[in-house]
Amino acid sequence: MSSDFEAYELDFGTLTAEITNKVGRIPKLAGEEKTQLVLNVDKQLEEVRELLEQMDLEVREIPIQSRGMYNSRLKSYKQEMEKLEKDFKRSRIAYSDEVRNELLGDDASSSESQRAHLLDNTERLERSSRRLEAGYQIAVETEQVGQEILANLNSDREKIQRSRDRLRETDANLGKSSRILTGMLRRIIQNRVLVFILGAIILLTIVLAIYFNLRGH
Amino acid sequence: MDNSGKEKEAIQLMADADKKVKSSGSFLGGMFGGNQKVEEACEMYARAANMFKMAKNWSAAGNAFCQAARLHMQLQNKHDSATSYVDAGNAFKKADPHEAIKCLNASIDIYTDMGRFTIAAKHHITIAEVYESELVDIEKAIAHYEQAADYYKGEESNSSANKCLLKVASYSAQLEQYPKAIEIYEQVGSNTMDNPLLKYSAKEYFFKAALCHFIVDELNAKLAIAKYEEMFPAFSDSRECKLLKKLLEAHEEQNAEAFTEAVKEFDSISRLDQWHTTMLLRIKKTIQGDDEGDLK
Repeated sequence: MSSDFEAYELDFGTLTAEITNKVGRIPKLAGEEKTQLVLNVDKQLEEVRELLEQMDLEVREIPIQSRGMYNSRLKSYKQEMEKLEKDFKRSRIAYSDEVRNELLGDDASSSESQRAHLLDNTERLERSSRRLEAGYQIAVETEQVGQEILANLNSDREKIQRSRDRLRETDANLGKSSRILTGMLRRIIQNRVLVFILGAIILLTIVLAIYFNLRGH
Repeated sequence: MDNSGKEKEAIQLMADADKKVKSSGSFLGGMFGGNQKVEEACEMYARAANMFKMAKNWSAAGNAFCQAARLHMQLQNKHDSATSYVDAGNAFKKADPHEAIKCLNASIDIYTDMGRFTIAAKHHITIAEVYESELVDIEKAIAHYEQAADYYKGEESNSSANKCLLKVASYSAQLEQYPKAIEIYEQVGSNTMDNPLLKYSAKEYFFKAALCHFIVDELNAKLAIAKYEEMFPAFSDSRECKLLKKLLEAHEEQNAEAFTEAVKEFDSISRLDQWHTTMLLRIKKTIQGDDEGDLK
């Protein structure tokens, strides 16, 4: 029984080696060959699966004591097969270097592209230097504008200082004039009071004179 | 706005005011509140003038303001008189520049009499501007700008004084009065160096002074540049200084082409204005003049 199992193991080994080889080649091919190879690998994977099933049946017929070893081997084979299947699937959509070369053109046209590169670079440099110059011009203009603004600010500052001083002077003058006005008001009141007093005295004198006159008669 | 109607009203008002003034002139009028009548007449003149302004009849408005000003002088209202003269000047600016200048001069006399030099200086500047633009009499303009600058200096308004001085300098340089221009530029330059706000404009002034030196005499220019670099280290870094040095070299070698090239290079980065171009052209002519002298 175990010799069957070992025969199956050998078969499994060869098949997986073949599959790995083909899976490695698939990305590099394209079109007809690729489809053929894919079908091939598919068939071989089927065979591997059948082998594994048979190995499974074999293991079940083996007595329970030595089953453990075969079981573990079987498990590792199953994992290997799953990995192969994953690789296979990935390889069908994988890219390869050949494709890149086909797309980007081959070495025969590289000198042309280099010249174009150089011209492109020169033009870029020229553009950058033109932009730098424009930037410099703008910086100089900005500096000039800044100078003018500073001069304006300076003159405005002086104007403001002068206005503030004048305002303080005006304030002091207003205070003085209000004091003078109150003084004038006071004097007017004094004068008026004086006039009333004098008027009263004159009236009194006249009344007294008339009174004494009448008394004299 | 019914402008023609306003004008008729204004003329009517003027006639009324005239009558009032005449009536106050007679003896009786003078006794019984003549002053009041004159004041009323003043006011009426002012109103008439405003109406003329609305009707855009500038010379009539100016006349009305002048009348008002004369009446104010009679009443010893110096302030009002001066302001009326200024209004008259403004009105005449648009019609008859000479009359405007006469009125503004009268107002300046009153202000200097009262001791208000700042305002007098401001009006000097106005007159100078009129000379600059309408009458194109540059020498009189320079004289007025100088007067204004002196007044401003007297009142410690250095920035306004500098402004006037710069105008004086640029016009004198145009009229080929180089020593004056040089002196002013150097003075302003050294003044502004101390002021942190203005020191960035100082190099502009030194550049102008050096250009004037250049026109007079090349050796002077070299000495001057050395002096400025000593006074003002940042000057030597500026593009203007480099241009000056190149121009000096070109002048020494009598090479007009190198001169033109240097100027073109400078111009490509920052445009040279009218004044600078005129000065540089004069310098260039001296180079070419020397060339022709050699050829002969």
